[in-house]
Amino acid sequence: MLRITAGKLANALRGTVSGTSRVAAVRCLHGTEESAEEFDKRYEKYFSREGIDGWEIRKGMNDLLGMDLVPSPKIIEAGLRAARRVNDIALAIRWLEGCKDKCGDHQATLYPFLLEKISPTLKELGVPTIEELGYDKPELALKSVYDL
Amino acid sequence: MSGEREVVGYGVNGSPIYIDCVEFPFPAIRYKEATPEICALREKELSDWKKLSLQEKKTLYRYSFGQTYAEFQHFTPEWKLIVGIGLWACAIGFLISLSYCAKLYGPFPETFEEERRQAQLRRIIQLEMQPITGLSSKWDYEKNKWK
Repeated sequence: MLRITAGKLANALRGTVSGTSRVAAVRCLHGTEESAEEFDKRYEKYFSREGIDGWEIRKGMNDLLGMDLVPSPKIIEAGLRAARRVNDIALAIRWLEGCKDKCGDHQATLYPFLLEKISPTLKELGVPTIEELGYDKPELALKSVYDL
Repeated sequence: MSGEREVVGYGVNGSPIYIDCVEFPFPAIRYKEATPEICALREKELSDWKKLSLQEKKTLYRYSFGQTYAEFQHFTPEWKLIVGIGLWACAIGFLISLSYCAKLYGPFPETFEEERRQAQLRRIIQLEMQPITGLSSKWDYEKNKWK
């Protein structure tokens, strides 16, 4: 029993002594951390790919809107153009809504900035903003039963 | 389950279910089945989107999605129902415990009588139980009264 314990202890100690180099080696396996610009480029490229279909666009958008970030204007534009290419305006509007929702607490400051950046693309494609559609407020909401 | 609705994505675990939620805003199927009007509109959508009227854009949106973000995130008075059910559960539990007291449990044992409890206290003090921080530490044995 003692021998087993001693052996384990020795192993653990060996681990701490030469641990640093091993950790470095393991970290290198994961490659370098992706910078924000590279991330933007990757998704821009993903959405701008020729022959992308609605399935892939939805996948990309779902992934992006599930992350802890606000998509940069370039990604949003690429997404809108992708929706144009697959001929689905509903997708474009929903994408805008999702990006607006991602602004979270900073919607008052961040959303106008995003809108300003992407407005040329919106005009070019003919995609209405959420405010133009009146989707910033519930449209088909039922009247409260207490007010009837 | 999905009827004649067009499957447009992978969805949750690959099942064609329509759902409006923030975590997963693009569900696997469209919200409505294609009608001749929608098909005509889809044909029109192929051309420049600027030619579509606002109403047509809305129709296309509602064809793909059931509720907008503003609608499904709208604050509902559902909390009243939940609070109500919670309070009802508390009330019923309280009534049940009251009925136990009234019907199920007999009278208190005789050791709960005032005299016996006094005697018990006296004995605790005489035995000097918990003399450092407890009950007996508060008793002055020289003057024979509470400190």
